[in-house]
Amino acid sequence: MKNEAKHTLSLKQYKAIFNSLYTPLCLFSFKYIEDLDTSKDIVQDVFIKIWEDKIEFRNEKKIKSYLYTSVKNKSIDYLQTKQYKLKDRLSTQYMAKLESEAFFSREVVIIETSIIIERAINTLPNKCANIIRLSFNNLSNIEIAMELGISLNTVKTQKKIAYKKLKPLLKESLAITAFIFGIVSH
Amino acid sequence: MPVFHKLIHLSKQIASSLLKEKQAVKLEQSELFSDEDKTSIIRNLTEHSSIKERLDLINKIDTKADWNTIKNKIVLPTKKRNWTYPAAAVLVVALVSGYYIKTSLSKSSPVVSPAVISSTVEIGKNKAILTLEDGSNITLEKGDSFKTKTASSNGEQIVYNTKESKKSEVAYNYLTIPRGGHFFLKLSDGTKVWLNSESQLKYPITFKEGKDRKVELIYGEAYFDVTSSEDYQGASFSVSNSMQNIKVLGTEFNVKAYKDEANIFTTLVEGKVAVSLDGVTENLLPNQQSILDTITKTFRVDSVDVNNVISWKDGVFSFDGLTLKEIMKVLSRWYDIEVVFLNKATENEEFVGILSKNQKIEDILYTIKNFEIIKDYEIIDNTVILK
Repeated sequence: MKNEAKHTLSLKQYKAIFNSLYTPLCLFSFKYIEDLDTSKDIVQDVFIKIWEDKIEFRNEKKIKSYLYTSVKNKSIDYLQTKQYKLKDRLSTQYMAKLESEAFFSREVVIIETSIIIERAINTLPNKCANIIRLSFNNLSNIEIAMELGISLNTVKTQKKIAYKKLKPLLKESLAITAFIFGIVSH
Repeated sequence: MPVFHKLIHLSKQIASSLLKEKQAVKLEQSELFSDEDKTSIIRNLTEHSSIKERLDLINKIDTKADWNTIKNKIVLPTKKRNWTYPAAAVLVVALVSGYYIKTSLSKSSPVVSPAVISSTVEIGKNKAILTLEDGSNITLEKGDSFKTKTASSNGEQIVYNTKESKKSEVAYNYLTIPRGGHFFLKLSDGTKVWLNSESQLKYPITFKEGKDRKVELIYGEAYFDVTSSEDYQGASFSVSNSMQNIKVLGTEFNVKAYKDEANIFTTLVEGKVAVSLDGVTENLLPNQQSILDTITKTFRVDSVDVNNVISWKDGVFSFDGLTLKEIMKVLSRWYDIEVVFLNKATENEEFVGILSKNQKIEDILYTIKNFEIIKDYEIIDNTVILK
């Protein structure tokens, strides 16, 4: 039956949610099914469903929670289709692990955190960004200098520039909502 | 707090720690994960191979193209509607988290520095011109202090004495903020006013006891934190300009009325205001914005995320789906620049996000260029050319 209710999201809001969550959700689904093209299909289906069914959300977290849970369920469903089982058969033990809450929680945190970090780093000039990426890997300044073939002083100066630029973005009040200057693509 | 919300919150804390090159203490203390999972999370976030793998995947995801696929599959509503339901305010906050990833790690092509021929563009600062009751002008700038019988300024703000006037005649001062400036003003009733670039406010030196308090935002943008009528013998406060009048009963709100814009925006943060024009009155609730079309002289009321509207007074520009053209208009006032678009198509690209006001214009342009929205830019004197 066709849902006659009005959309609770405007197309603009819906698009913004898509732009914001499409990439992380594809990465998330990939953790389950390890096939990016299928992951994209699954995430797109979930997005189409929230629009067609005019699902109501009270706030941002509710949307996120709904989307992550739906993508997880659809991904698990896919692993249980005949089509999938024909080419690959996962052990019961491994399936149980994928279905567990612990796996879900861990992957959500990894993806959400990495997306915030990427978004923040993406506001930096390339040189700075590469240095910061390496410093996550616990490389010392000297090691970074050697890895990139630049001087130790350059590493230090670039780091200073990076933190100066990231500082206003990391302020408690802003850290929670938005990190960067992003594009709402058409 | 539901578990999912805790996960999201924890992610933000971890990201913040890692970006500051600190240990992710919040994760270590968290009861949501086993020690084994904690180690695996950190390894996944910091090991080069995992980061690289994730970036490779991200590079294979084309959000723009896939949005078009989705758009063709969904049934679009036939009529455009106004979104004034209460949930909208909450939702809009969500949208600010919108992002766009354009990774550069895998591409090693050198970045060509854009041509900056003779940049004289400065970051905006505290700056204002005070016009006294006798018509004389005084420039207020950092480092210059100034004092009269009724007011004192340290060059960063101006504060009027709280003494009430018994005189029958009301004397007015004007505060004019040039492009590239902003200023803070405290009126004699304790009302605080933040004035944005290219704005002018007319106000009495002192308010008359028991009489309504009236100021005029002649043009520009201002944020008002009005002292309550109850603390002021019930005297209401009103902000007028050539078009509309705003009546206030102790509240916080923002008014934007630029000469080069066809709309006047009044946004309520707290309390209650009534906006009126020619006998038509709109009452605003917190998180609502009235938009007065100065040509048709009609009001529209929308729900908005007030943070985007008022962030300018706290040193950041917050944009939620504004076009590049609209954004450059805001920036042109703060940096006192003229902007030329060589490629008209880029004018309508929309952005979401936050920019610090305390950075050089070159840095902002560089970011926009990094998103491949503009091919290049050039700064000649105070003109920015976007290519």
